[in-house]
Amino acid sequence: MKRRPASLALRLTVSIGAVITVVLLSFGWMIERSINNHFIQQDVDELNAVVQALKHTLATVPANESPDAFRDRLANAVSGHHNAQYRISTPNGSVIYSTPGSDLARFVRMAQPVEHISIDTVGIWQDHGETFRGAVLSMDSDILRGIGPLTIAVATGINFHLHYLESFRDYLRLITVVACLIAILATWFAVHRGHAPIRRISHEIRRIRSDQMHIRLNSSAVPAELVELATSFNGMLDRLEDVFKRLSDFSGDIAHELRTPITNIKTQTEVALSQARSVEQYREILYSNLEEYERMAKMVGDMLFLAQADNHLLKPELVTIELDAELRTLFDYFGAWAEERGVGLKLAGERVCTLGDTLMIRRALSNLLSNAIRYTPHGKTVSVHIEGNLESVKIQIVNPGPQIPPQHLPHIFERFYRPDASRQRSSEGAGLGLAIAKSIFEAHGGRITATSTEQETTFEVRMPAQMC
Amino acid sequence: MKLLLVEDEVKTGDYVKQGLTESGFIVDLARNGLDGHHLALTGSYDLIILDVMLPDVEGWRIVQALREAKSATPVLFLTARDSVEDRVKGLELGADDYLVKPFAFSELLARVRTLLRRGAAPVFNDQLQVANLTLDIPRRRAQRDGVRIDLTNKEFALLELLVRRQSEVLPRSLIASQVWDMNFDSDTNVIDVAIRRLRAKIDDGYEPKLIHTVRGMGYMLDVTPSA
Repeated sequence: MKRRPASLALRLTVSIGAVITVVLLSFGWMIERSINNHFIQQDVDELNAVVQALKHTLATVPANESPDAFRDRLANAVSGHHNAQYRISTPNGSVIYSTPGSDLARFVRMAQPVEHISIDTVGIWQDHGETFRGAVLSMDSDILRGIGPLTIAVATGINFHLHYLESFRDYLRLITVVACLIAILATWFAVHRGHAPIRRISHEIRRIRSDQMHIRLNSSAVPAELVELATSFNGMLDRLEDVFKRLSDFSGDIAHELRTPITNIKTQTEVALSQARSVEQYREILYSNLEEYERMAKMVGDMLFLAQADNHLLKPELVTIELDAELRTLFDYFGAWAEERGVGLKLAGERVCTLGDTLMIRRALSNLLSNAIRYTPHGKTVSVHIEGNLESVKIQIVNPGPQIPPQHLPHIFERFYRPDASRQRSSEGAGLGLAIAKSIFEAHGGRITATSTEQETTFEVRMPAQMC
Repeated sequence: MKLLLVEDEVKTGDYVKQGLTESGFIVDLARNGLDGHHLALTGSYDLIILDVMLPDVEGWRIVQALREAKSATPVLFLTARDSVEDRVKGLELGADDYLVKPFAFSELLARVRTLLRRGAAPVFNDQLQVANLTLDIPRRRAQRDGVRIDLTNKEFALLELLVRRQSEVLPRSLIASQVWDMNFDSDTNVIDVAIRRLRAKIDDGYEPKLIHTVRGMGYMLDVTPSA
């Protein structure tokens, strides 16, 4: 089974939350780093101050001072730098002075002497649980020239810096985590709020029932992103409403159209049974009933055909149809009937072919032709003109006769539509012929239009062309 | 001629059986699929009329069983669903013809007779004769009382159909389908016009009258009117 895609709120919250977290983490990292650098700089400054003081002391020491006095002088050379330790030794390793309690010997052995102290040249080491930062320098001394360059090691304890940094880091982490949580919650809330229009639309949609198909979403009252959704939803509703209306009209029509023949049969049978009649009379009634039944059966058959067409269940078996030959067959079929009505039939045009279901196309054309013949006055001629190019074929069925009023013209392909309500039913079937013709042509990818002038009415069919 | 009718709808079954019996057939009526299945496989029938929408055993199964048993008994099925799939399925399974409900009884009768005739040796009569009407099939000529009658191609085809199926009521739809290849009902009275014209040529001025209208059902060619 395919899993449901993650909710929009979750997706947005996760992605925005991830971005916020990354931003906060890198921000914290930068703060921590800059504070750390600041401390290192402070230490370097201090170490440089100590070195400066020592250099000054060594430069100003009077000649022939006793070693003890010299040591005292060195011990006092640096003041105000309580954390600072230093050790001065000769090239051969003997210690001239070392801050009491300090042990810089190991550091001197490990570290390389540097020219001057900076962030890049200081080193860090640990000793007896205390962390130090320091550097080793070598320095010439005017006084002790005979001995050679002195090695000066300076260091400062940085434990308090590290403690501060550590607690600051903890604090920073806490802040980051809390800020992330708040940001994610806020995002989730904002996204949820942002989806409110969707919930509102869904609520509106829920109101639409089959008896309220006229309700539409107000696309000007939704955010820009949802306008398209609302518009296409409204479009779908339009189509549904149309089909729905046609369906209910359809069942209404069926009921209405069947009511008349049923009433006829019922009344006739009731009257017939109300008293004894001769065999001849009974037979007459049964015949009359049979005619009504036949009409109903045909109507039901036609309605089923149209229902199939409406539901796209018509599956034409496509073969190449020669339209001119097909029309000639139909002329042959209708010929005698037309002749009796004093109506001529004329076919003009070239040999054209289309792809279609022979039976269906024949039925559709037959409906059009019989319709045309029926409305042509005595002595006039129905003319059929066919022509085609590589893409489409055109069949025009023109009959002289009374104009179909413009207000009726758009409706003549609707089932049961009769322009003249008083027109007799018996003469022209159930009014489904044109609807069936239209369904058939449309099932074949064609279309049919009608135009009517005072002199003549033209039905024009266009269908995809096919090589003969 | 013995027919089996399998139909679960009580009224339809009764009336079709009555109609067929009165038309001279011996009819066994099975009111459910199980009986129908049994009778179809064990009895010997010249034709089986089968409603495919049965509550127990589907009509298709009966056709299938029949064909698997190598029985060639023609089967005509009745269906209420006018879908191409249904028709194709029925014909593929080995049925010979079908009718969509509601159907005209005269149509059913005509189809039954066609199917029964199919089994018989084809008659290649060059000459057909009814009373004093003679048809010369190869030359497509008709004579009444020895007088040649001019007929159009379609008129001759119509007359030939009527003569070949003498004494049978032919529904308009069957005539349209056999003579003009129009397999649908038309709103028009084209067939009536064609018959009227044919009658004017064949019957007017001659005795006995051969072409008869059977009201509500169709046309029939016979020496003596039946109704």
